[in-house]
Amino acid sequence: MTNVFLAQADIEAPPIDYAAILPMLIILGAACVGVLFEAFLPKHQRWPGQVTLSLLALAGAGVALGAYAGDSPERGVTTLSGTLAVDRPALFLWGTLLALALAALLLIADRSVEPGGAFVAQAGIAPGTVQDREQVGSTGMQTEVFPLTLFALGGMMAFTAANDLLTMFIALEVLSLPLYLMCGLARRRRLISQEAAVKYFLLGAFASAFFLYGLALLYGYAGSVRLADIANATAGTDRSDTLLFAGLGLLLVGLLFKGSVGPFHTWTPDVYQGAPTPITAFMAACTKVAAFGAILRVLTVAFETTNWEWRGVLWAVAIVSMLIGAVLGLTQTDVKRMIAYSSIAHAGFLLIGTMALTDEGLSGTMFYLLAYGFTTLAAFGVISLVRDSTGEATHLSAWAGLAKRSPLLAGVFTFLLLALAGIPLTSGFVGKFVVFSAALSDGMAPLVVIALVFSAVAAFFYLRVVVLMYFSEPAPEGPSVSVPGAFTTAAITLGVVVTLLLGVAPTFALDWAGAGGFALGS
Amino acid sequence: MLIAIAALVATAAVLPAVARRWGRAAFAVGSVVVLATLGLALVRYTAGYRTESLAWAPVAGLEFTVRLDALALLMTVLVSGIGAVVLAYFTRYASRGEEGIGRDAAVLVLFAGAMLGLVLADDVLSLYLFWELTSICSFLLVGGNGLKGEARRAAKQALLVTILGGLAMLLGLILLGTAAGTFRVSELVASPPGGGVAVAGIVLVLVGVFTKSAQLPFHPWLPAAMVAPTPVSAYLHAAAMVKAGVYLVARLAPAFAERPVWWVPLVVIGLATMVLGGWRALRQHDLKLLLAFGTVSQLGFLLVLLAVGTYTAALAGAALLLAHGLFKSALFLTAGVIDTRAGTRDVRELSGLGRRWPLLAACATLAAASMAGLPPLVGFVAKEAAFKAFTHADPRSALVLVGVLAGSVLTVAYTLRFLIGAFGGRGAEPGEVGRPGVVLTTAVAVPVAASVVLGVAPGVAELLAGDYAGVFGAATYHLELWHGFTPPLLESAIVLAAGYLLYRRTAAATRAGAALPGVLDAQRGYRAAVVGLEALARGVTSRLQTGSLPAYVGIILVTVIGVPAVGLLTGPIEQLSPRAWNSALQLPLTVLALAAAATVPFARRRLTAVLLTGLVGYAIGGVFLVVGAPDLALAQVLVETLTLVVFVFVLRRFPPAFRRVERESPLRHRTRLVVACAGGAFVALLTLVFSSLRERPSEAGAAYVASAKDEAGATNVVNAIIVDFRALDTLGEITVLLVAATGAASLGLAARSARRRALPTADGDRGQREDEEVTA
Repeated sequence: MTNVFLAQADIEAPPIDYAAILPMLIILGAACVGVLFEAFLPKHQRWPGQVTLSLLALAGAGVALGAYAGDSPERGVTTLSGTLAVDRPALFLWGTLLALALAALLLIADRSVEPGGAFVAQAGIAPGTVQDREQVGSTGMQTEVFPLTLFALGGMMAFTAANDLLTMFIALEVLSLPLYLMCGLARRRRLISQEAAVKYFLLGAFASAFFLYGLALLYGYAGSVRLADIANATAGTDRSDTLLFAGLGLLLVGLLFKGSVGPFHTWTPDVYQGAPTPITAFMAACTKVAAFGAILRVLTVAFETTNWEWRGVLWAVAIVSMLIGAVLGLTQTDVKRMIAYSSIAHAGFLLIGTMALTDEGLSGTMFYLLAYGFTTLAAFGVISLVRDSTGEATHLSAWAGLAKRSPLLAGVFTFLLLALAGIPLTSGFVGKFVVFSAALSDGMAPLVVIALVFSAVAAFFYLRVVVLMYFSEPAPEGPSVSVPGAFTTAAITLGVVVTLLLGVAPTFALDWAGAGGFALGS
Repeated sequence: MLIAIAALVATAAVLPAVARRWGRAAFAVGSVVVLATLGLALVRYTAGYRTESLAWAPVAGLEFTVRLDALALLMTVLVSGIGAVVLAYFTRYASRGEEGIGRDAAVLVLFAGAMLGLVLADDVLSLYLFWELTSICSFLLVGGNGLKGEARRAAKQALLVTILGGLAMLLGLILLGTAAGTFRVSELVASPPGGGVAVAGIVLVLVGVFTKSAQLPFHPWLPAAMVAPTPVSAYLHAAAMVKAGVYLVARLAPAFAERPVWWVPLVVIGLATMVLGGWRALRQHDLKLLLAFGTVSQLGFLLVLLAVGTYTAALAGAALLLAHGLFKSALFLTAGVIDTRAGTRDVRELSGLGRRWPLLAACATLAAASMAGLPPLVGFVAKEAAFKAFTHADPRSALVLVGVLAGSVLTVAYTLRFLIGAFGGRGAEPGEVGRPGVVLTTAVAVPVAASVVLGVAPGVAELLAGDYAGVFGAATYHLELWHGFTPPLLESAIVLAAGYLLYRRTAAATRAGAALPGVLDAQRGYRAAVVGLEALARGVTSRLQTGSLPAYVGIILVTVIGVPAVGLLTGPIEQLSPRAWNSALQLPLTVLALAAAATVPFARRRLTAVLLTGLVGYAIGGVFLVVGAPDLALAQVLVETLTLVVFVFVLRRFPPAFRRVERESPLRHRTRLVVACAGGAFVALLTLVFSSLRERPSEAGAAYVASAKDEAGATNVVNAIIVDFRALDTLGEITVLLVAATGAASLGLAARSARRRALPTADGDRGQREDEEVTA
């Protein structure tokens, strides 16, 4: 029997560049340790344990990343038998993700704004029951949130570095599943929170299915799931373009869904509103970075040569996204929903930079992601502070005249809104500038014109909130502004400082974002 | 000059603190700093200073370059000089201990800084940056403390109109810059681009100019902004904000003055605004509104002068820019004194103030004389030059001259109305009348004195105005008080006489005007636009964002179907030649699956729906069996059974029947039906197309088939792959399944032990119902 010998033949293990993937390993490893903490630590030690572990993991990953990025090869490396490409864009996005996750984690860990934290003490209790009413008063929280966050973060890091579609799909699931769960863990308004989780899960599963379907078609086209192989296959002309474009289309549906680009945005407002605010902040900032990092990589590495065929469709998608975000944002009466629509409009702007496929487009989009992430994170941090007796007061009418009660908070929020609108001296302006100028030099002037018009419309609803805060009479029984604890203060400060710094002195970050392109080899 | 801008911004940052400590003195501090920037600019200009630049983000090509030339200095004189006067005036205009002193002082100084940056900036982006900053400053100043609804509305309108105009301008400048290959304003002017892009760029820039300088049909924001404190209005009208548009025209005129796309809109709209503004001014009773419409009119005049690009017109424009800044600030400050000290600014109530405050009245009279164009004031000098510029035989000049003369007649008439309305009459005063005080009177007198000096010695004004106009050709005309008996002098005389006559007939003229229908009420247009936009957004939202999961899935499905289906149907569909069936047994099985799928939506009970779904799965398992894949069939049946069991466990906790949804509109019902069927058909079509597109079996598959018999001793390739070639994968999958099953089982057990008495929800809210709908 020959198969006996076959079974005993040595399997050559692929070489692994541990230094390159160390940051990811640290995050995922810490997530596993976090699960063990949940199992073996007594209840009162879990929160401090998890917070320490998570912060240490983020710091450790950051140090590892910094040490590696210092002398990383110019063209990047691919490792784990070509499934992960650790190149300059991946390193930049990892850095962005880690920094954003740090801020988000601080929001998640906060227990002073909402006594006991924004998360439910026991997610298994049905809303509306006696036990549920009891647990509103309790101060515990479901500390599984921390390892879940780390898992999601690890998935996002893998997502932006995935060099083949299968790895990308697995990373997509790793990042999505914890998010679905975390959306349903709000301490207050649990039904809306659970509704958000269910919606997000169902629609997300739908989008994942599209991604998988597209993946299968692309495999049928190229005979490989590697991005580089797909690129090579597009160079030969004897294959069926139908498979290629149908596959790309379905793949993009999955990716655009994660990036909440219209018209695949439908989940965004409901989920942003229902999820616990720290999770919304995490999702809004980090998921967007991961999704657009992946879109950038897929389009640049695998589909650059065919860009004239798909560009028209993405133009339409970008315009629809900006239209939906800007126009529907005008009518929102809930702050979280408003920021959700703003995120849809921003997704449209980001898509413009993504389509450019030039070095400026790449660095501009990544800079935009960094800038947008911090601004929106800090904005959600501020939102979590405005509260009344039922929890967060997110209805806009409650924000009327807020500047009278809390000038500092109103000032900070105004600054963040101006950054979202893209007013100069904020990071939002520089981000829009680099993205739009990259698109201009790549011959997309009409799209830039449309984008400018929609920026103007979007600016209107940001300014409406500013006007509301400064120029309205405060509601008689309006919300109070909680004094944030150290964690939330640190997160908001971080977001505001980065927003300001990137607006005033963006050179450093732009240099870093423009340090190199994707690793094209397998 | 960078330091001047930085100093103003820094001062603005500390002024609130100063105001908290020393109250109104904050204005004095601001006034001194603003004046210092003027001194700095004069020193630098005489020392031959030209440009300076600061790298902001060189990677992205963002640089901040400032340039101080004659035009920039002319504007700086206005911005800083009048800024200093206004701030000084504010020290007494504001009452002691008034709330908001810090804010007003800081924003005014910031405003001065922004205007300074605007006129000095030599690159498109910083120009835009400061342009929008002035809009924001005026918004803050007009809105004040935001307690008055009228002020809020006015502030919002000013912001909306000017920011939108600013965006149009940015767009235009970007188009021009892209066409010219440079984003430096000076280079753009030196080598202006041509072609269609440039035409679009110019039109967009002009939209920015018209909004900012309150031209037809965007003008209503300026009169509406009169709710601001009077010193703010004075600054807005005399030196800042509206002058930004005029400045941009003056800046770009050397490049584009030849082109009809540039001068035709400017001249037509400018003249129309000049006449209409003057006409509206004549009908106002409120002193400030009268002056505001006067400004609208004068801005039109300025645009016409600066647009046409001849030496004399440019000289007249630059001189009038200066003259207008001086007399308008003086007149506004006068109106402010009257308003605060006499308690009203309605011409129908004011009477006898001239005898009460002779000094103030004299100053105001001089300023008004400058506005009307009487010698020996700078207004007269400028207007003479303007008449001269258009006193030519060609038809364009003649037409423009007629418009300018008509506008000037109106100017004389409303000047008289202002002066006599404010200071004339001998009747009793309305209530208590305070004293203007030294500071306020001096603040009014300073620009008036400047008007007189520049009028008597027009050479001083020509130093700057001539320098600017020099780009349009050799100096063929000089600013003089006395040119001899020339046509412009005659025209001036006619204008003055006609203006006086018109003033005497104001009542009749107003009645005639009232008889005209309000054809184009721009203010109503603005409101309709805002309301319409909001209504549109609300309508779209209520249709797209219903919160219903089926609707969301529908949107995604429609997009997915719509985009690729077009490509598919035009592409390879005709090559399809599918066989109907391989074995007759497939037919009943397929019919069964289809029937079950079609029945699911009509199921009343949850369990029925689940069973029907299961039936679809079993039928497909049957199809697998028939076409010769028993292993696949087995897996399918197993999975179906497992799913069914899980469903049954879960459904035990649910009410047996679906909740009756309130009567849905049949249209929506049918839409869903169509979308669902289309989705299914689309996927079926895809499957057909793609399975026919496979050109060759995959290499891995071929290799497995080749080696299955020899290496694994298997006759079934699938088995060989599962248990041999990819045995480790299989092990992994089994492990994952086991872990998941353990987890699920322990969850179930934990839930059972934790479940005590779960009360039904008494106060089920919206979320609860939505939840059920989701499950449904």
